[in-house]
Formats: sequence, structure tokens, C-alpha cells
Amino acid sequence: MSKISVTGLRKSFGYNEVLKGLDVEITEGEVVCVIGPSGSGKSTLLRCLNKLDELSAGTVIVDGFNLSDKTVDLNEVRQHIGMVFQHFNLFPHMTVLQNIMLAPTELKKESKADARATALKLLDRVGLSDKADARPAQLSGGQKQRVAIARSLAVNPDIMLFDEATSALDPEMVGEVLQVIRDLAAEGMTMIVVTHEMGFAREVADRVIFMADGLIVEEGTPAELFGNPQHERTQDFLSKVL
Amino acid sequence: MFRAGKLTVAVTALLALAGGFLGVSAAAANPSQAAVTGENYVIGTDTTFAPFEYREDGELTGIDMDLVRDIAANQGFTVEIKSLGFDAALQALQSNQVDGVIAGMSITDERELIFDFSDPYFDSGVQMAVAEDNTEITGYAGLAGETVVAKRGSEGETFANSIKDEYDFTVKALADSATMYDDVKAGNSVAVFDDYPVLAYGINQNNGLKSVTEKEQGSSYGFAVNKGQNPELLAAFNTGLAELKDNGDYQTILDTYLEQPAPAAASGFFGLLSDSMPALMKGLGLTLLATGLSILIALVLGVLFGFFTVSESRILRGIASVYVSIFRGTPLLVQAFFFYFGLPQLSGQSIDVLTAGVLTLSLNAGAYMTEIVRGGIQSVDPGQTEAGRSLGLGYVTTMRRVVLPQAVKIMTPSFINQFVMTLKDTSLLAVIGFAELTYQGQQIYAANFRTGETLLIVAALYFIVINLLTMLSNKLDKRFNK
Repeated sequence: MSKISVTGLRKSFGYNEVLKGLDVEITEGEVVCVIGPSGSGKSTLLRCLNKLDELSAGTVIVDGFNLSDKTVDLNEVRQHIGMVFQHFNLFPHMTVLQNIMLAPTELKKESKADARATALKLLDRVGLSDKADARPAQLSGGQKQRVAIARSLAVNPDIMLFDEATSALDPEMVGEVLQVIRDLAAEGMTMIVVTHEMGFAREVADRVIFMADGLIVEEGTPAELFGNPQHERTQDFLSKVL
Repeated sequence: MFRAGKLTVAVTALLALAGGFLGVSAAAANPSQAAVTGENYVIGTDTTFAPFEYREDGELTGIDMDLVRDIAANQGFTVEIKSLGFDAALQALQSNQVDGVIAGMSITDERELIFDFSDPYFDSGVQMAVAEDNTEITGYAGLAGETVVAKRGSEGETFANSIKDEYDFTVKALADSATMYDDVKAGNSVAVFDDYPVLAYGINQNNGLKSVTEKEQGSSYGFAVNKGQNPELLAAFNTGLAELKDNGDYQTILDTYLEQPAPAAASGFFGLLSDSMPALMKGLGLTLLATGLSILIALVLGVLFGFFTVSESRILRGIASVYVSIFRGTPLLVQAFFFYFGLPQLSGQSIDVLTAGVLTLSLNAGAYMTEIVRGGIQSVDPGQTEAGRSLGLGYVTTMRRVVLPQAVKIMTPSFINQFVMTLKDTSLLAVIGFAELTYQGQQIYAANFRTGETLLIVAALYFIVINLLTMLSNKLDKRFNK
């Protein structure tokens, strides 16, 4: 069953066209890694899926919601899609626990007590039970990103978007974050992961998409794409990063 | 008939009441009296033009004040005196904010074009004075090559200019008598040309000057109403003036102020401090009231227009930007004049001085607050909004729970700064006659000529209050924005 369906997606910022017509189908439980050089439009693609960026043309259907339909309640759609950012974007004026509880309580999905219980469970899951009352400023980068993942999971999404979730981390902290994402994949979460971690993509992805210049150049299983890239751009990119 | 000397307010009120009864009984005999009986008129006057109007123990007194109150009592009407300053009083009269003006005002041809004057009630004239210890200058002839000072736009200035070529001196114009006398005492000017009653009164108050010439034949002072307005008030003034002259009351009033025998001994600094404190505290109260009201309204305006500046609507952004550029792009003083004098003339709706003052300060501070709010919101990382929105929170919730708590923390020091600025800006409202701290200080030194000491006290009060409030604000900031 198709969880995300993208057809003819275009996105321009002023005169600069960043996405030049993309078609993507993602089925339930699929883990898709998006790779490609900087400026190829990977992040913009993700931001179009929860409409942090407006679409210029094309259609995006997520969980049955057509994002081009003005009557669709974006706030509801976004509760189906969690997003994790490169720079964590934790709320600095709240404790770790408050960060995680904010959305469930504000959206009236859970009582305060229930939200607290859920938040503690999520913290346990990302291995940070002892940091519940810490402020974001007291955490390491890897810890911050794990809290950000827990925060996204708190609204119980069925799709997760990771936008270069490990790019801002010191190398020794990349592993702990990837482990959390790996666990999510194992639980059957539908995920789109924009990443520069080729080893991770090869290991975890069901499918890898290679983007360049606002277009999908090539896609396939990790074995196909990394083992036998068809396109010259793909070969060129992989030769530089592997 | 009753006689009145130097009146206290209580006595004036009693007399006004008595006059009211008399007015009723004499109504048939005197048509002008009938028209004003029982009426209350608002009379504008100068802040300080001793001995015609000045404050003693916080109460307005002087020749003009006694005269207009006695005439009111005699003619059966009541007056409410507004101490606005000379220029401000005339503007208030033109915009019908007041019914009449009595301010030691000379009757001139130019003024008669826009005002209707009463019969003259006092014959003035210009006199020259020099510093007490100056033995060299004994007449106009000694002025060669020197600078003299005169009040801007006054008869004294006109006279000084008329003889400056003959005696070869330079004329400098200043705004009020106290400043002019200080200028002479400080040696910046060698002599002052001022109206003789003012000068005589000042010398009797130990202002450190002495007069060295006879009074020049000058013009006469009159009570004024706006051209064509309040004819019955003008007629009643004339009738009352004639009656006071007949019954001797008029002469008693003049003697009270101009024949003062022994000069009062000057009290020390602490005497001045304790004498001036009640009036200054009253002023400080109004300063804080105006500041508090203005800051509250400015905060509302700042938040409202601040949100406009970060909104997606081009129209709302436009409105906010026009508002900010108007109130940041014009001087506060001009805005104060506009709201107090200009707006009533345009709208025909008079406005009291506190309302005009608060309107000015809050609209002005609101423009700065708008910029503070905009800056605060924009300085919060856009990633914060994206994180909030991607969790499914709406715009308002994201603003309220995520962006604003961070923005407020950033804005607080600027808010405290604006608060202090607005408190200090209230002093500008003295020019429209708002009786705040600076105004009270001006009143005091205009009557006792102790400018330096009085201003030191006023400045110290501002300093203490501002620093206390700043300390308090910083404490609150630390507590709530840890």
C-alpha cells in the first residue's frame, strides 16, 4: 500500500528551481535513503512532504491526504509525519521532558499524566531516562538528536523524515543516533532518511534514491545502487564518497 | 460690598458663592452679569510670570490670579485656572481649549487681530537691571560692546532692539525670566530688559539683580478671549474690573505684590528641599502615572504592530511600517504639540493634558516597542518554528509556547530600556503644561530664582526613581527569564 505518493513535484525559490519534477512512491514500512551532492534538493524534497515548504507544482499524497488540497488540515497531516532536523531544533527554554510532552498535551491527544508516562517511555527507548529534567543546553549533540527523535515519536507518527540527522554531530556520536534510527526501521516504521552515511544507507535501506540537480537520477536496492550504479552521475558521486 | 486682599482658594470659593447669590439678585440690573452668573470659565495663564502669576506653596497666586478670581466673585461666575505657559495658553485659546487668557499679556495690534481684549488692567513698561555687584553700568550708555538679554517675543526685546544701534550692544533672546536673570548673574549678559513689575518683584525676592533705569513708557496688559467668542465673559471682566477699581480692591491687590517691603530671607538648601518636596512629589506622581499608562498602552500597541511586522499579510506589514515610520520619524515634542493643540483645532474636540500626554508617549513608545517585538521574534531561530509546526502545532500555539517565550527573554532588556526612556520623555510634556516633575521644578525656580539647586533636586529625584525601577526590573527579569 502506498504511504507516500509524489507526482511531478516541482519547487522554486524565486527564479531558482530546486526540484524539477519528481515522482516517488513509498510503501508502508519501507525505509528509503536519499543520497546525493549538496544542493541536489534532498532536503527540499523532505520539506515538501510535510509542507514546511510550499509546493510549486505537482501533487503529494501522504497517508491519503492530498497536500495540494486547501481544505486539508495541515496540522493533522503533520501529526502523521515526524521530522528530525540536522540542527535538532530542541526548545531551549524547556526541559527534555517538556520538549517531548509539548505536542501531545497541546494537541489534547493525551492528559498531562499520560503524556508524561509516554515521554518517559520514549526517553527510555532512546536511552536517555536519566536526562528527563535536563535542559537541551546540558546535552551533547548525540543526546540532543535522540531527544529530538523521541519528541517526534511522541505524537505517534506513522512516517518519519530524517533530514541529515547526523551531519551536525561529532563523529563519535553518529553511532548512537543511527542505532535509534536502525531500531525504528526494525519496528517497521516508514522512513525517508536523507543522509551522507553511505554505510548506514547500505545496511538499513530497502531502497536508495540518488538525487542530483533537482532530479532523481537513479534508484534501486542498496546492492544495485552501491554495487552496480548505472548512471555516470551516480558513479561519479559514489567514487568520491565511498 | 466685600473686600478681598490676597486670597486663599477657600476664601475665593466662598466669595464666588457669595458673588453667585449677588449675581442672581442683581441680574435684572446688569445684563453682562446675568449672562455669566453661575457659569464656570476655564482661564489659561503663564506658568510663571511673577508677580502676575506664580506658585506659592503649590498654589497659583499673583496679580492676575487675584484679579481674575475677585472679578469672577464680583460678577458671580467661577473660574478654573490652567497654568499652561504663555505660548501654550495662547494656542489653547485659539483652539478653544480655554475660554480666556490672563497672562500679563500686552495688548498689541497683532494680537488684536486674533483675540478680543478687555479694558487694560495694568500699565507696564520695560526696565533694565544688572547684577547687584555691578557698579560700572548705570544706564544704557554703559552697554557699548556688551550683550544684553531679553525675553523672546516680549516688549523688552522690542525695546532693546530699538535702542541697540544707538548704544552699540547685542540682544540675546531667552524664553523666561528666571533663565534671563541667571544669565546675567552668570555674567553671560551684562543686563536684562524685562517688564518692570516682574523685575521689581524678582529683585524683592533676592534674585541678585538691581534696576538701574526708570521704567520706559510701555503698553498695557489686557485679558483676552478668542476673537468673537465669549463676549459675555469679556463684558463681565470689564464691569468687574471697574468695580474693583471703585471699591479699592484693585489697588490692594497691586500693593500686595509690588510694594513688598522687606525681602524674605533665603532659606538654606534643606529649607528649599523641604519647601519644594510636596510640589515635586505631586509632580513625580503624575510623571509615574503618565509613564505607567503610556508603557502599558505602548506594550499593547507594540505587541499588536510587532505581530503585524512578522505577519504574512502585506497589508498588515504595511500598516505597521507606516505607523512605525511616522512616530519614529517625527520629534516627540512635535507630536505632543500636535495632540494637544493641533488635534483639537482639526477635530473641534478639546482634549485634556493628561490624555494628550499619554496619547503622545504611548504612540511614540509603541513605535519603538513594535521594533523591539519584531526584533525579538525575528531573532528566534526559524528552526524553532519549523520544529513546532512539524509536530502538528498551529501557528498560534507555536508562537505562544515556542517562539514568544524565547523572544520575550531577548526583548526584556530593550523593554526596560524603553521604559526608562519613556519615563524621562514625560519631562517633555512640561511644554504643554502637564504638571509632572520637571514642570513643578520650573514652577519652583521661576518663583524663587534658585535654578541650580532646584534642578539638582529634580534631577536627583529622576535619578533615584529610574535607578530603583531599573533595579527592580532587572530583578524581575532574572527571576522570570532564567
